[in-house]
Amino acid sequence: MNFQNKYSYVLAFAFLATAITSCNRDPQSTGLEFAPNMYQSVGYEPFRQVDEHPLNPMGLNMRKPVDGTVSRRNYNTSFGSGDSANVDIMVYNVPKDSISIAERTLTNPVPLNEKALAEGKVLYERYCQHCHGEGGAGDGLVGKAYKGVPNYKADAYLGMNGGHIFHVITHGKGRMWPHGSQLDPEERWKVVHYVQKLQKDS
Amino acid sequence: MNIQIKKTALIAKKLSVRMKKFIVGLALLCSPFLAFAQDAEGDAAKGETLFKNNCSSCHNVTAEKSVGPGLKGISERRDFPWLVSWIHNSQAMIASGDPAAVKLYNEYNQAQMTSFPNLSEDDIKGILAYIDQANAAPVAADGGSPAAGAAVAQSSGPSDLFVLVLIALLVVMLLVLGVLLVIVTLLSKAVSGDATGADGVPFMDRLKTTFSKAANNPAIRSATIWVFVLLVTKALIDGAYNVGVQQGYAPKQPIAFSHKLHAGEYQIDCNYCHTGVNRGKSAHIPSANICMNCHGAIKKESPEIQKIYAAIETNQPIEWVRVHNLPDLAYFNHSQHVNVGGLECQQCHGEIEKMEVVEQRSSLTMGWCIDCHRKTEVNTKGNAYYDKLVQLHNSESKEALKVADIGGLECSKCHY
Repeated sequence: MNFQNKYSYVLAFAFLATAITSCNRDPQSTGLEFAPNMYQSVGYEPFRQVDEHPLNPMGLNMRKPVDGTVSRRNYNTSFGSGDSANVDIMVYNVPKDSISIAERTLTNPVPLNEKALAEGKVLYERYCQHCHGEGGAGDGLVGKAYKGVPNYKADAYLGMNGGHIFHVITHGKGRMWPHGSQLDPEERWKVVHYVQKLQKDS
Repeated sequence: MNIQIKKTALIAKKLSVRMKKFIVGLALLCSPFLAFAQDAEGDAAKGETLFKNNCSSCHNVTAEKSVGPGLKGISERRDFPWLVSWIHNSQAMIASGDPAAVKLYNEYNQAQMTSFPNLSEDDIKGILAYIDQANAAPVAADGGSPAAGAAVAQSSGPSDLFVLVLIALLVVMLLVLGVLLVIVTLLSKAVSGDATGADGVPFMDRLKTTFSKAANNPAIRSATIWVFVLLVTKALIDGAYNVGVQQGYAPKQPIAFSHKLHAGEYQIDCNYCHTGVNRGKSAHIPSANICMNCHGAIKKESPEIQKIYAAIETNQPIEWVRVHNLPDLAYFNHSQHVNVGGLECQQCHGEIEKMEVVEQRSSLTMGWCIDCHRKTEVNTKGNAYYDKLVQLHNSESKEALKVADIGGLECSKCHY
């Protein structure tokens, strides 16, 4: 029949195309990759790992720094200009249990001004607010479930100086866990400014 | 107190001098009692404020445990001087070896209670008065009239609205059932050949002739085949373009972490866990210590949280599955887009705060990148870096400065 001669190739192609495209995409699979050698990095990238690393512990691409490594600062250490200029490397070695040393020795090197407060507010909203609440009353959504989050304005906390607050952010205290890994020292001092502002606000 | 005196004075003015003297005398006579009553009340009211500011984060007024013990009946459990010294400096008491203090300290996982040396004995008395008052109040309500019990019973039954909705649903279902029955009868008649047309030919026969006529018509036949072939070809080309595109990829993670719960319901900022997002190329997968900031105390018994504890104890990494795999041939930097560009996470990652399991929402193709670079205006306001650039751009173009105008379409910007 004329029909068969004319359309057999077309129909065969259509059948094949249907077969190829009609499979559902599995959300568990990344699907076909066109050129894996261009997609997967040759270097050892920390967050993309196709094979186990041959040498590192647990086959990880990332390694911990060697013990005793001092991290090079990547934050500001000098503030102000002219007479009010000050330099603080912000490398502190106050152990976790020595909060009284922190109270006595640490002072906030970041000058208190509008800019520092605005930056402190942004950081506070990112790292503190869900527990400590918008106004520092300990009424954040997570804080309510976590329990034991204090009100910054309670008498026992009003007298705490910047060094104390800095030490608590760095190492934690009571039920609060250390947040030093999430905030660098400069950021912590900005948060200290903002927390102290919240304490003064009525 | 002052208001009362003022009121008394106001009334007194209107009265005769004698009456005035009498009333003032009476007020004076009553004042010690008034003052006493107000003092006791003031104590509890002041105690309530003090309690809410200082104590409520760790203690309930009821017997229910929070971080510390519930304080119901505390004034009977401990004598007053013990309480005062405990509140002023609990650590000193534990150090001095007070048996009750040491027992309490160990019972509550050696959690240290904050010292409140600023609270005076009067303040503490006020707090205790408030605790007693708060515990007395609900008891009185419980012993109320039987009507309260009846109200509770009533409220536990189904509400009127719910019953109405149920009835409406029932009616709709009955209607649907009726319509279905009619259709079934009609169809069964047609199949059995009862329904005949005006010309006397049975329904099924007419259907057959119509179909065979259409199938034998070459125009209809080839048109059908061509439409089918063209649709399939289109699907094939689309499919070929999507090779390597992982949109919709939603792998199962080793721990059933829910962004919907953490970022949606609890509104934890994305930055809290993905700390690298405004500092570097990657947004960072949080390490277990960040999980522990909350889960050291919250939901400790959940089997999913236990997996984090197990990972920490055995010092094994949690093997999260990467969802967004941008090919290595393209360079992408998070901090550039989040810090400088000021993009929200959701712009590329979709409504992450509503995802139970994270899914790749955007295609991450080059066309998708370029599209955004063509559309997005650069935020140049208050940034001196752009001043001259904007000036130059405005002299040549009437449109706003887009990312494409500052090199957002250059090949080597992302491929090198």
